[in-house]
Amino acid sequence: MEDTTRFKRFLKEKNLPTPWCPGCGNGIILKSTCDAFDELNLDTDKTVVVSGIGCSGRSAGFFNLDSVHTAHGRAIPMAEGIKIANENLHVVVLSGDGDLLGIGGNHLLHASRRNTPITIICFSNEIYGMTGGQVSPTSKQGAKTITTPDGCKDTPINVQALIKAHNCFYARTTTFHLKHLKKCIVEALRHPGLAFVDVICQCIVNNGRRIGFKDGYDMLMHYKNTYKINENADLLKEGEIGITKVGVVK
Amino acid sequence: MSKLLLQGNQAIVYAAERAGLGFFAGYPITPASEILLEFVGRKRVKVLQMEDEIASINAIIGASLAGRKTMTATSGPGFSLMQESIGLAHMMEVPLVIVNVQRVGPSTGMPTFPAQGDIMQSRFGSHGDYCPIVFYPNSVEELYQHTFSAFNAAEESLSPVILLSDGFISHIYETVELKTYPTVDRTRPPLGMGRRHFTGLTHKDNTKPVTSDPEVHRALLRHLKKKCEDVSEKYNFYEYIGNDTADTLLISYGALSRAAYKFRDKYALFRPIRIFPIIKDLKEIAEQYESVIIMEMNLGQYRNQVESVVHKHVELVSLTGGKIDLKEIWDKLTAIKGRGRKRVSVAD
Repeated sequence: MEDTTRFKRFLKEKNLPTPWCPGCGNGIILKSTCDAFDELNLDTDKTVVVSGIGCSGRSAGFFNLDSVHTAHGRAIPMAEGIKIANENLHVVVLSGDGDLLGIGGNHLLHASRRNTPITIICFSNEIYGMTGGQVSPTSKQGAKTITTPDGCKDTPINVQALIKAHNCFYARTTTFHLKHLKKCIVEALRHPGLAFVDVICQCIVNNGRRIGFKDGYDMLMHYKNTYKINENADLLKEGEIGITKVGVVK
Repeated sequence: MSKLLLQGNQAIVYAAERAGLGFFAGYPITPASEILLEFVGRKRVKVLQMEDEIASINAIIGASLAGRKTMTATSGPGFSLMQESIGLAHMMEVPLVIVNVQRVGPSTGMPTFPAQGDIMQSRFGSHGDYCPIVFYPNSVEELYQHTFSAFNAAEESLSPVILLSDGFISHIYETVELKTYPTVDRTRPPLGMGRRHFTGLTHKDNTKPVTSDPEVHRALLRHLKKKCEDVSEKYNFYEYIGNDTADTLLISYGALSRAAYKFRDKYALFRPIRIFPIIKDLKEIAEQYESVIIMEMNLGQYRNQVESVVHKHVELVSLTGGKIDLKEIWDKLTAIKGRGRKRVSVAD
């Protein structure tokens, strides 16, 4: 029988529990990342995890490897510095949509242009969760948040277009599609250039409950019913998840 | 040993390379751009032109954690952008060197004119408490020498060290003897060798964040302060030119201190090179003179720091706008004399 606890060697169990709310999706991504590390049998002495600020920023502290918890929005340039200083390291960035696409958006724009070989796992929960539920760069039009009580008027950022415009690896998945989530991270880690995994994940406490969801499970069921896997697409449409073909521009 | 005619900014590059620099990241800005330019094509140093100064300092923090000696160079506006991450580097105990070639501010100011407006920014620019080591040489040769000091102090204190310059000394050309000064190597293993967690949150022993124990935070602050102060004692650099016939000590630093030499027959002169932590010997030196005057290319940023050490009023000669004019300086100095001991500021 397959040993399902092997992912634990990548975790600092003594640092658990995580500070995340009941029903949060962050733990699913944390575990799936460890599963992906295990599948590739990554050397813990050659893997470094970097995170930004926010709920997801706390994930770095739970890895049983050298990890860095940076300033808000700065995980990507710091990861680039680490990778350039030591090319033998696997450098993995874990952070949220507000951190990577809001305050740190300019760094993603330029890191993808440089195609620095780092893996970025974005916890995309469409909200600034840690600070109470403010609108974020990925919030959908019409989304009610504490800073957009009449609904968000802006278009969510098209991160797929940004990453694909520079011929980098782009995958989208959700915290419901566990096997697919792990596969996306594995393929991202295998990719020789910059890889971005956009993980749609649930924040029930500061987002879901304000937009009509009962609990975290309800949000996961919504992902199950909304998102269909489309493997090897040139570009993913709304409602699709998958690993896009690298090298297909625009 | 070779002697070269070098520009101040070039001298920093020559020294950084010899001090073991492995990675430089920067963003173009007047009057510091020559540093980035001079690194391009040097085989021993990896160079990255980043999208902004925030990316630059974070890239060098990462590269430093990964085991390289790292540096960035900028001027006031870029230095302001770096402030948050300077605090991060103190908190995570990351050695690196930040060169700040000062220009006239605030804001875009007068980009090609020298100033000394970043003294407070160097000391207190980031939020929270920290105790940075800051050097401010006054010649091309000293820029060369104290680039070594900055790298060594950074390694010894495991903290970011600031090397101040200004648009004047970074742009003049002087001969420099390319001496080799001793260098300090990293003792902490690079990233990938442990199970450590480097974080800007309050923490203990690089294992996990501890964000609700005041005692852990107090112990961390004490540790960060003490190590920088202890290391700074090894770099007690200053220039003191005593004068038996003078009753006044004239303090200056950086570009303006070169003008002060013209008045050495009328004043005793003191010039800190390590401007922070402030030189303690200054108290004893100042006690030998009836009055103390400080000259600065700002509205008196270093004066309060000096007063806190010498425990007496320090008169100010303020020269802003990037202009260093001997007659103007002399007029302002004599104006102070004429007004006796009353505390006055002579600003332009």
